[in-house]
Amino acid sequence: MDWDQFDLNPKVIAALKKADIKSVKEILNLSGADLQRLMKLSSADIQCLLKTVSHMLRRNSMLTALQLYQDKDHRTSQHQKLSLGCSVLDNLLKGGIPLVGITEVAGESSAGKTQISLQLCLCVQYPYKYGGLESGAVYICTEDVFPSKRLQQLIDQQHKLRADVPAEVIQKIKFGNSIFVEHAADLDTFHNCITKRISLLLTRGMVRLVVIDSIAALFRCEFGASDSVTKARYLQTFGAQLHSLSSRFRTPIMCINQVTDAVSESEAAQCGCSVVGSRVSPALGITWANQLLMRLMVSRTPQPERPPGVVSHHTGSVREMDAEIQKQCCDYIRSCQHCERSLHTWI
Amino acid sequence: MQRDVGSVPLAPALRARLVSGGFQTVQELLETGPCGLSKEIGISKEEALEVLQVVRQECHGDAERTAARSGASRKCTALELLEEEQAQGFIITFCSALDNILGGGVQLTKITEVCGAPGVGKTQLCMQLAVDVQIPECFGGVAGEAVFIDTEGSFIVDRVVDIAAACVQHCHLIAEAHQEEDHLKALETFSVESILSHIYYFRCRDYIELLAQVYLLPDFLLEHSKVRLVVVDGIAFPFRHDFEDLSLRTRLLNGLAQQLIIIANDHKSAVVLTNQMTTRIGQSQSTLVPALGESWGHAATVRLIFHWNNSQRLATLYKSPSQKESTVPYHITSHGFRDVQPPAVTQHAEGAEMNPRKRPRREEEK
Repeated sequence: MDWDQFDLNPKVIAALKKADIKSVKEILNLSGADLQRLMKLSSADIQCLLKTVSHMLRRNSMLTALQLYQDKDHRTSQHQKLSLGCSVLDNLLKGGIPLVGITEVAGESSAGKTQISLQLCLCVQYPYKYGGLESGAVYICTEDVFPSKRLQQLIDQQHKLRADVPAEVIQKIKFGNSIFVEHAADLDTFHNCITKRISLLLTRGMVRLVVIDSIAALFRCEFGASDSVTKARYLQTFGAQLHSLSSRFRTPIMCINQVTDAVSESEAAQCGCSVVGSRVSPALGITWANQLLMRLMVSRTPQPERPPGVVSHHTGSVREMDAEIQKQCCDYIRSCQHCERSLHTWI
Repeated sequence: MQRDVGSVPLAPALRARLVSGGFQTVQELLETGPCGLSKEIGISKEEALEVLQVVRQECHGDAERTAARSGASRKCTALELLEEEQAQGFIITFCSALDNILGGGVQLTKITEVCGAPGVGKTQLCMQLAVDVQIPECFGGVAGEAVFIDTEGSFIVDRVVDIAAACVQHCHLIAEAHQEEDHLKALETFSVESILSHIYYFRCRDYIELLAQVYLLPDFLLEHSKVRLVVVDGIAFPFRHDFEDLSLRTRLLNGLAQQLIIIANDHKSAVVLTNQMTTRIGQSQSTLVPALGESWGHAATVRLIFHWNNSQRLATLYKSPSQKESTVPYHITSHGFRDVQPPAVTQHAEGAEMNPRKRPRREEEK
């Protein structure tokens, strides 16, 4: 670090160089007393130094909530969300999933988790006007192969599924071309994937959505009950890494999680996912839950009753599935009304 | 002038030289003069001049400070402290049960830590407080402003708008019921826009940025003297990954706590921190405890733990110097943080109920 460009007394700069302090991080990691000892300066000088470097680091980062609220800029606004391409879900989430943060979809197998994420991969490619981000998606598979057949079916049906978008707009988008599929079956590959490969794609602006299907599969076999500390550390590292990717590129991260049966009441209470009448809780425990911005629970209800709110413009093979998802959401809304009315209350 | 040489902010090497040169008080230094000083302890005249300059500045500052403090000296009786504390007021949470166990609300000049499992409502309480701190004085508020430091990116401005709108509406209802002039006057300027523009939001992406921000806070608070609440939402998140060296973490956290205590005291503002929970594996069973370890537990004066019991959210006062430990239920509604109440109670009744609770206390204070 070039200390000469800081607004500091030359005496302080000389002392910094002499003490072999190379970065702002190093300065902030030391306490005031340590700095005095190392640099042989008075406490007033150290105070001044700390304020100056802090100021350099933070610049003028203050925003008022009003500025945040009125911000209409595409790149910074909080209002911008990624639509899920389904009006019921979008209403539930007040427009879609937030761009910064990790969103999780958890549910039993065949509840429609993969379906939601595939749909997101397509939605992200639509123009801003239609709730998309005009960019591609990365799909990281950790257990199964990528469901390309399912994706193809969805792409073929796009013009029916998205009746709100003009046909020529849909025609122009080459959906299959901008979905990047990664396979990562173990922790090291996955770590490499999110630290190097994904950030490369994000830097080039080729993708604005990362889907991880599923995060729990990575941890299921490698860790026994005694390795919980290592496991927790991995989860925290991944969480932090994904967080920083998300906020650096304003890219939503979508994780799919499995559920485990809650053995005791208290266990279910720990994660706070007390959806009435269900005895399952998302896998990976509280460490992972701490990393999330939002958690969606999806479930499948046995009766094929259809709620009145279902939109009828879906046709073909896709319809059942979508209606199913929508129904689940309605059920979800109903069952969680006490707390999840506005979904931001989740986390 | 009888101040000890050791207490003057000088470089440690110089201080050591002065002491070994036999200087004990500031008075002696001033009497010796620059030339004498440079000869006595073997430093250059420039250095000696600098030393004396620092010493004079210090003495000057001292004199000023004692003058300012002449009325209220450092010593004060417990009665005075009590009066001072009662006059300060509280930031109410809009959940009267929680206010009660806290002894009236979140206290100014104290650090309150809110711990809880993800999704239980920690951030919601923080946003609620950031709005409630701005309630005008005639409604029993503290008419302050709020600083919100966000490390997790969970500050959702749309939520704040909901909460602020509900709060403004609540005050309007009170004003309607009482028809007092100062109420109406205060409401002219109390709007959602004004609430939003007095929440100062800082986003910190890692612990370095958080530390830097806290170093800058005192200056910021001097510029914005009406700030009565500093929220750090997610003290744990930046400190819970990438820390190989746990002793460094403890040291940084203690430093941070110390600075926050100073901020709370000097600026008469409440500091609210949120913390995550973690599993402690015991001999027979594992329990949930607040993260960041045992020593961090001393940082906060008041500690609240939020948890679930089935689908009911509960708040437990876990540590407090003045209130007894207790647990109360609360709700999170689309309007914000609220009491659990029978659904029959209308908002009018709620407004009328809240007011008598607020007003008598204020009259007692006077």
